[in-house]
Amino acid sequence: MNRILLSTFPLTAFSLALLAVIVAPAFAADEAVTDIGTLDKESAGKTFPSKPPYSPYAGRNFPTRPYFGDTHTHTSFSMDAGAFGCRLGPRDAFRFGKGQEVMASSGQSVKLSRPLDFIVVTDHSDGFGFFPMLLAGDPRIMADPQGRAWSEMIHSGKGAQAAIEIVVNFGKGTISKAILPVPGTATYRSAWLETIAAADEANEPGKFTAFIGFEWTSNTGGNNLHRNIIFRENGEKARRVEPFVTMKPYGNDNPRDLWKWMAACEEKTDSEILALAHNGNLSNGRMFPIIESFTGKRIDREYAEGRMKWEPLYEATQIKGDGETHPFLSPNDEFANFERWDKGNLDLTVLKKPEMLEFEYARSALKNGLKMEAELGVNPYKFGMVGSTDAHTALAAVEEDNFFGKTSSSEPGADRAAHPFVKSADGKTVIMGWEQTASGYAAVWATENTRAAIFDAMKRKEVYATTGPRMVVRLFGGFDFEAKDAQNRLPAAIGYTKGVPMGGDLPPAPAGKAPTFLVAALKDPIGANLDRYQIVKGWLDAKGETHEKVYDVAWSGNRRAGADGKLPSVGSTVDVENATWTNTIGAPELISVWQDPEFDPAQRAFYYGRVIEIPTPRWTAYDAKYFGVKMPKEVPMTTTERAYTSPIWYTPAK
Amino acid sequence: MKKLLREPLLHFLVLGAAIFFAYRAMSKSTDAAPGRIVVTPGQIEHLTIGFTRTWQRPPSSEELEGLIRDYVREEICCREAVAMGLDKDDAVIRRRLQQKVEFISQDLAAQAEPGEAELRAYWQAHADAFRDERRFTFRQVYLNPQRHGANLTADGASLLAQLNQPGADAVTLGDQTLLEHELARATASEVAARFGENFATKLGGLRTGAWQGPIESGYGAHYVFVQESTEGRVQPFEEAREAVRREWANTQRLRANEQFYTGLLQRYNVTVERPSPPQLAEAAR
Repeated sequence: MNRILLSTFPLTAFSLALLAVIVAPAFAADEAVTDIGTLDKESAGKTFPSKPPYSPYAGRNFPTRPYFGDTHTHTSFSMDAGAFGCRLGPRDAFRFGKGQEVMASSGQSVKLSRPLDFIVVTDHSDGFGFFPMLLAGDPRIMADPQGRAWSEMIHSGKGAQAAIEIVVNFGKGTISKAILPVPGTATYRSAWLETIAAADEANEPGKFTAFIGFEWTSNTGGNNLHRNIIFRENGEKARRVEPFVTMKPYGNDNPRDLWKWMAACEEKTDSEILALAHNGNLSNGRMFPIIESFTGKRIDREYAEGRMKWEPLYEATQIKGDGETHPFLSPNDEFANFERWDKGNLDLTVLKKPEMLEFEYARSALKNGLKMEAELGVNPYKFGMVGSTDAHTALAAVEEDNFFGKTSSSEPGADRAAHPFVKSADGKTVIMGWEQTASGYAAVWATENTRAAIFDAMKRKEVYATTGPRMVVRLFGGFDFEAKDAQNRLPAAIGYTKGVPMGGDLPPAPAGKAPTFLVAALKDPIGANLDRYQIVKGWLDAKGETHEKVYDVAWSGNRRAGADGKLPSVGSTVDVENATWTNTIGAPELISVWQDPEFDPAQRAFYYGRVIEIPTPRWTAYDAKYFGVKMPKEVPMTTTERAYTSPIWYTPAK
Repeated sequence: MKKLLREPLLHFLVLGAAIFFAYRAMSKSTDAAPGRIVVTPGQIEHLTIGFTRTWQRPPSSEELEGLIRDYVREEICCREAVAMGLDKDDAVIRRRLQQKVEFISQDLAAQAEPGEAELRAYWQAHADAFRDERRFTFRQVYLNPQRHGANLTADGASLLAQLNQPGADAVTLGDQTLLEHELARATASEVAARFGENFATKLGGLRTGAWQGPIESGYGAHYVFVQESTEGRVQPFEEAREAVRREWANTQRLRANEQFYTGLLQRYNVTVERPSPPQLAEAAR
């Protein structure tokens, strides 16, 4: 199979080019399809009567739609996934992501409501490569006399004889080391090649992106410091290296060593890779350190630079809980208590202490990043945010009514909610099956659906996290947005012209001006209406203390903030018993311009958007209805899905 | 019979069985002597290669000693564990073994190279799987139900009349929305991704060249002008070849797994002794 290494790219690129030629007469070259319509000269002229009407860049090359995907899918190639009964491999994961029906490991048919745009298969690098995939057909194996001989035997119908020879040679230890099918290098390599081949085969530029990747699972002492690695390019590059592991002395569990490996990898492959961490909530205070757990010392400039260079994104929400913030850290944020996993580390060997939380959640890390930047001159925690699944089923299935769980053993079944998910050794602390969160996906504002375009958008952090629904979320920051920009028919064109998108940096503040933001959100076409769009601001004051505040900036209906400054609840239409809701409350879209009322040009700050959906049934409600089971009292049966954008940062001029 | 002999699946099965028997025979004859561990030059070479591939440099002599120590330790622990029977009744190990067996059948399936005729036959038999999607070029004007309330139908009717007047400027009519006003040659699934499946389905039923509506979506009411709608053709074989090969290989893989297992199953006589319902109820308590 590896021999095939399908190169669909030239073919598809060719047909796209052909298509462009065919389409050309109907659509002149000076038109651009935006997320709110085609921008042609006539309509642009109406919007911007002055000359030039708008920047050609803004008109033609900005992303017009977000691409939705999962940066974190495990398959049977991961040791733990296999142990939990996963039978589906990388090829199945990609097929499923493309919207095809597959048979889940538990023997149930499963299909997404609609295809995803991209998937990164990220099997654990430790223990990767389970079994000798004999004669994997890699060019190097074909280059080996022994390998070629056996391959020829098989193809001339002498397969059985070849098999016997292989086994005999194995027993005698006379198999050429390039193809040796024992635990060790060749085995490892063949699994890696298989992963690469599956991605290259599934990748269809313009239609579906299949990334090559793996997970580096640093988990010493049960403290989650995991990172996923994504390759920008194809197998030809990725084959030049093998994944970095945590097992010493082959690899290391310290992120600094991962970054060194990444630097060597980029050099060797002559291409780019990036890393993103996840589940700080299970790291027991080690994910976003100020004091490094490996040395006990305060992080230095080298750490800050490495982290910023190699880890542009953070996976802020997934099945093992949501990682935006925690009620302990954000006591005034009424939406902070969402899908918390805060009992301990990943294996519950050490229970949580409140002082750990600050170094685990995205919002507090973004705040501490400002502090570290003031101290070191580099912000180690200047990351964008995505959601992903971390499903160990090869199935990126996290819709509430189509949730296939974290592991194959937690695929739909009458008892999965009431079954313990993790138990501490003494049995006193338990994370139950119902605590799994049906979340999330990564939304990427890329210019097209290709590996390069999506990867580049990830690098520039023009991404946002959703807990599952595919809402469209825009955030632009600048100093010149006006209220009427929110009435414009082409807000994206204005956004890119007058400001920077999510993940960007505000320019220095003109005298007397405060930052303004153009915010917009459109609900998932088949999902629930939106409750509100909020901006979360974090800043560092003159004393070096960090602060945060959540502002409601756009909302549905005619609600007004109460005496406490809080907007009244949107209400709920959820019928738990029948697992239904209606879109009679909330709004299908929200758009507004907001200006920071408390801006101080001397203070570092960040701003990110949070979009909240109206309440809908949680996956536990769909389970209860389908299986006719009664959930224990403590099980939440409704949820408020949400999206988190990457921040826009403000740094005072020196 | 001749055809059967050429059947790739048969080759996998024969090959698989051969590997099993040979493996079994070999593992008996090469069982290491108890209490003796030999780390051969070959094994040391493999440790070195493994290290070099991950670190992209060879191990230092100190690191190599570490690798060897770890290898010996692993070997001793594994032998002791097996001797103590720790590999029995362990769900993780049993599943891992099951997985290894399944990998064998898949790998053997992966060895089969389809011939041109075989791929063509597959393409013909599954033509619909290689059909391009239908594409639409259309404009839409949106009415937000929350802004129009009870007047939605009436406002829609007058909007439609306006749209169908010569020289109407559709871009400025209707309500503001973040949805695209116009899409060019968008596939049905692209339309569905933005407007929902329902809208995409209804779009397929519209005639071209006139404003029509309302078409309902999850957002509200849309009035739509379809400029062009092209039915997807079945991709010619040459164009679809890579996709055909992928689909063919997937089918082979699934078949190989099933047939491999079915073959193994035939060598067993399986008896299931079911407990009585009260026993079951007791066990489940």
